[in-house]
Order: sequence, then structure tokens, then C-alpha cells
Amino acid sequence: MTVGCLYPLSGRAARYGSDSIQAAEMGAETINRTGGIDGREVRLLFADDRSEPTYAVKVARRYVVEDRVDFLMGVVSSAVALGVSAVSRYFGIPFVGTDHASARLSLEDFQPYYFRVTNDTQQSMRAGAIYLSSRPWERLFYIGPDYEYGHRQYQDLREHLQRLRPDVQVVGTAWPKLYEVDYAPYIGAIVAARPDVVVHGFWGGDTIAFLEQSLPRSLFDRARVMSFDAGGNYEAFEALGHRMPLGLALSCRHHINFPDTMANRAFVDAFWSRAHRFPSYAAHGAYVGVQFIASALRRANSLEPDDFVAAAEGMELVTPRDREGVTSVMRAVDHQISQEMFIGITQPCSIYPPAQVMLGSWEVIGADLTLPDEEEVLRIRSEAGRSFGHP
Amino acid sequence: MSAILVDGVVYASWIFLVSVGLTLVFGVLRILNLAHGSLYAVGAYMGAWLVVRYFHAGMPLALSFALLLAGALIAGLVLGPLIERLLLRHTYGRDEVMQLLVTYALFLILGDLTKLVWGVDPYYAYAPYSMLGNISVGTIPYPRYDLVLIGIAVIVGVALWLITNRTRFGRLMTAVIRDREISTALGINVPLVCTAAFTIGAVLAALGGAFTAPTISVVPGIDVTVIVLSFAVVVIGGLGSLEGAALGSLIVGIARAAAVHLFPDLDLVAIYLVMTIVLIFKPQGLFGRAEVKRL
Repeated sequence: MTVGCLYPLSGRAARYGSDSIQAAEMGAETINRTGGIDGREVRLLFADDRSEPTYAVKVARRYVVEDRVDFLMGVVSSAVALGVSAVSRYFGIPFVGTDHASARLSLEDFQPYYFRVTNDTQQSMRAGAIYLSSRPWERLFYIGPDYEYGHRQYQDLREHLQRLRPDVQVVGTAWPKLYEVDYAPYIGAIVAARPDVVVHGFWGGDTIAFLEQSLPRSLFDRARVMSFDAGGNYEAFEALGHRMPLGLALSCRHHINFPDTMANRAFVDAFWSRAHRFPSYAAHGAYVGVQFIASALRRANSLEPDDFVAAAEGMELVTPRDREGVTSVMRAVDHQISQEMFIGITQPCSIYPPAQVMLGSWEVIGADLTLPDEEEVLRIRSEAGRSFGHP
Repeated sequence: MSAILVDGVVYASWIFLVSVGLTLVFGVLRILNLAHGSLYAVGAYMGAWLVVRYFHAGMPLALSFALLLAGALIAGLVLGPLIERLLLRHTYGRDEVMQLLVTYALFLILGDLTKLVWGVDPYYAYAPYSMLGNISVGTIPYPRYDLVLIGIAVIVGVALWLITNRTRFGRLMTAVIRDREISTALGINVPLVCTAAFTIGAVLAALGGAFTAPTISVVPGIDVTVIVLSFAVVVIGGLGSLEGAALGSLIVGIARAAAVHLFPDLDLVAIYLVMTIVLIFKPQGLFGRAEVKRL
């Protein structure tokens, strides 16, 4: 059973790719050690997607045509994922998304062979809107990268916030390009707009650069800074150390210190033993991706893509990020994993060096509150003019 | 309004440091050096790397500025003469397309060498940026380090003007710019002038990189960003013009700041929109001179 994985192994997202590979191998080794999937060994192939959609599409096609893979897996960039999803649909090979977050993949551009095992922008931003709606504030500023992912976050946040708090005012938006190096004028624009709350939609090095450059400009004294999709990644805590501002409300797809369960501790410890560093959330996605494929295949008892799809729909899965007694569910309607969302506040903590600040004081938002129901999914899909039947 | 002005001037200072080197090299060598952005990146990596190592050793903050300067000088003084003597010298007088291809190849090689030496992970060397504290313009705080950047840009601009207009080397350079053949006939050591001019350009690019390093995340790809912006500046100002680089930087800086503050959706196109408008009315740039091509 072969899985063709695409991750960025060069450029600024390389750390995400490297963590994903370590964790995917960790997951595959665990499965193979215990007899594989009904006797079949899991074999992983890895290739650099260069974070370029056109190049990634070529690699995905090569995986299917030449390497005869049974599954496609991976992808950090949402733009790349849209391309790979099209390849998956064309060849009828399941594509398991393990990191990218644009809700477009499971809504407007949904195709039946696509599954995502990590939360999307809709879940994180709806959770953010719920978190924001219970707090006193009036003026919001959004800043995010100027591509699909950044704009989708803003759209998802704004739509849900308008329903919950129609009284709030968006006092400005800013759209630096992806991998911007100089955020100074954007920070100036934020301060000049005098918001109560700043929501940023950056990930990876962009988060770190934005926070570092905001520090000398006293942004954190003037507004509550929040980020709900990727801003709470360990990578940022590691890079900023004791300079990470306190009191920020952050979240991401996996937290190494929450939930404090045996399963999460075991995952983090195993990754540490293997890579000698703490995992970024990308690692958890890749690990769960392998776990998801194995579980659905056992359920399907067949390598046929259509059998796999039928078995995976509605399947429950226990992942390291689930609290005790809670399971993640792969929804049948949009093939999006349904999970609880956790938002924490930055506070001093030196248990996970080199980070000196971690998230705590968690707020848990129920899985059923952050995804659209079946009717809404079908409406969004039909409004987008795309409606794919099941295979 | 004051925020747009301050942000614009700070941005202009940074881009001036880099683009003035590009315009100087074009003026003397008549080569549009695509690898200029790579020299900026090497300067940024040298500066960030030295500062990060320096602070790991627990040394006093104040000397970090000297380290940034040292990083720029090492990068520019080593790479500048090497590139000019070993590579560019063989392209003088050749077809412009060939020169572009050579400098583009150099750009790719230096990009990969940078990754080999410093890796692909970002460098964050923010300590010098925050150590000087803030000043307030209106209600908006600005790091004093931004004033340092403006100061360096002014010093570099004035020094270059003095060198080109008030020194013997400047007059030699002007002679080479005007007519290389007659300069050679007059006994001017043209190859030496070219090496010196390219090295000054390389040091300026590296200086821009090193002193910008504390304000940004130093990552693979910063070479592309800066070369595209520098081209916009020198095209607006006029290729080969010092005054043009200064005015072009200011226009680019203010245009970008205004877009960020007033029209965030136009942020990415604002600079190129201004460039297009300038080129429509003054195709040779604001300070460029129309040239008579010799056949």
C-alpha cells in the first residue's frame, strides 16, 4: 500500500515539510511494526512540492501514473492543495490533506476523493468568532497574507462574526504578500486605526516576523492581538523565547501541551525522541493522515478507492489532539474532520524549551459549533456552481 | 498623514541604500546587475548571523552596530572584486541579453550558496532593532532604529555625491561613464575604476542588507524582493543617476506607505502603478538622459 506524499522541503515552509515527513514515518513504522494493514505494509514516498501548484501537480501525476500510488497525502499550501485535489479527482485516487486550511477545498471545490484530517479556516475562524463574541470590544483590524488562505480566513471570520456580533466595526484590513519581510508600514496602519482587537492570519516565519516587528512599536500595549488558525504554532514560541508577548489569544491545529492526555504526551515524546525537537502542528497532521488511511482501509477491507471513500465517510478517529472521551469524526458531507477547537492565552512557561512562553487558560469550543451543517454545505456548493456526486 | 510620511521615508531609506549601488554599477559598468539582490541577501545573512552569534555569547548590545557594519564590509569587499574580476569583466561590451543572463546565473548561484551556508531556516536578529527604544510621531510609536536607517541613507547619499563630484576618483569615474575608450586613451586605469565602482556597489547592497537584517526575518527569497523593488526605483529615477535613485526611493516609499494606509487592496501594485505612470511621461526616468546610440 503506497502513499505518495507531497510536502515543501525547500523554502520558508521547509520546516513544515520536514516535521510532516518525520511524523508520517513515525505513524507508518507504528502500523508496520504491528503487522501493517491486514498484512499489507505501508510504504511512503516523499517529494518536494516546492510550494508551487504547477510543479506539485506534475509530481502528483507522476505519483499516480509512474509510481502507481494508492493515495496522495500532504501539502501545506492551500493553493497547491487545490491543484493536487484536481489530480486526485481526475484519476480517482484519494487525497488526504494533512495541513492546508482553506475551506474552499471541502466546500466550493469539493471533490469526493478529497479528505482533510486537520481543521480548516472555517472551523478556526468560527471558533475565533465565538471566542470574540463573548468579550467586550468594538473595533477589529484584520491583517493576513495576500493569497487564498489569508483572504479565506477573513471571509470566514467576518461572516460568522456578523451573525454573532452585528454591532462590531472592522476598522481596517491589510494584505502583505506571503513571505513579506517588512511589516513596519502595516503595523503603522494598524496602530493608526486604533482597533481594540487585531486578528492576524499569518503562519510560519510570517507570524514570527510580524510579532517581532510589532514588539518595538508597542502594538501589544494598544490592542489585543489574536490568531485562530495557525498563530499558536510551537514554532513561534520557539523562535521568540521570552520575547513572546503575554496575553495573546492564539490557536492552531495541534498544541504540544493541550490536551494533557496520555495520547498527546506519547505523540510529542515520540516525535522528540526521533527529531530532537518539539513538533509543529504540521507533524500532527501528517501523523493523523497515515493513521486515518490505515483505519479507513481496515474498515473497507479493500484498496479500491470507492470502497475507501465509503468506509472513511462518517468514520470516528481518536487522534492525539482529542480530549479524553472525545473523538474526531470524518464528516460524510464535506470530508472534513470535525474536532473541538482550543484557544489559549500566552503565559510564562519554560517546560518546553527553548520556548519560554506557552498557551494556557484554554477555552474549548465544541466541534458542532464550528462547521456548517449539511444544508449549508450543499447551499454553498450549489451557489459556487459546483456539485459533485459521490463516486 | 504623518504616519504615511514616516513609514514612507523609512522604507525609502532602506531601498535607497540598495538601489543606489545598482544605479552606480550600471552607470560605470553599463551592466544591469541582477545579482545585486544576492549581494543584499549575503549582507543581510552576514549581519544577522554575526548578531545572533554575538548575542548568544552574551556580549554588550551597543557593539552590535559595529558588527552589522563589519558584516556588510566583509560581504561587499570579498564578493565585489571577486565577481567583477572573475566574471563580469568578460562581459563588458557584449550583448545586453548575454550580460543579463550572466548576472541572472550569478543570482541563482549566490541564492543556492546562501542556502548552503546559512540553511533555509529564517534568521531573526531583532536585538539591535529594539534596543534603542521608541519615539512617538503623533500617537504612533516608531523604533529609534528607523532613524538610524534614515541617517545611514543620508550619510551614504551625501558621501557618494561628494565622492563623485568632489574627488579625483569621482572625476575618473565620470570620465569612464562618459566614454570608456577615450578614458583608456587618456591613461585612466579603466579596469581598476570598474572594480572599485562595482565593489562600492556591492558594499552598498550588503550594507543595506546588514542594517535591514535586524528589522526583518532573513530568509531565502529576500534577494528577489529587493532586486524587483530596486529596479522599480532606478527605472523611476533614471538608470545611472544618484539623484534619481534618491527621488525614486522616496516616491516608491511614499507610494507603498500610502497604499498600505489608504488602499490596502492596492498595496502590491501601487509601486508598479507609479512606475508605469512615470515611464509613460518620462521613458528614460525622472533624471535619466536620452542617449544617442553610436552605430
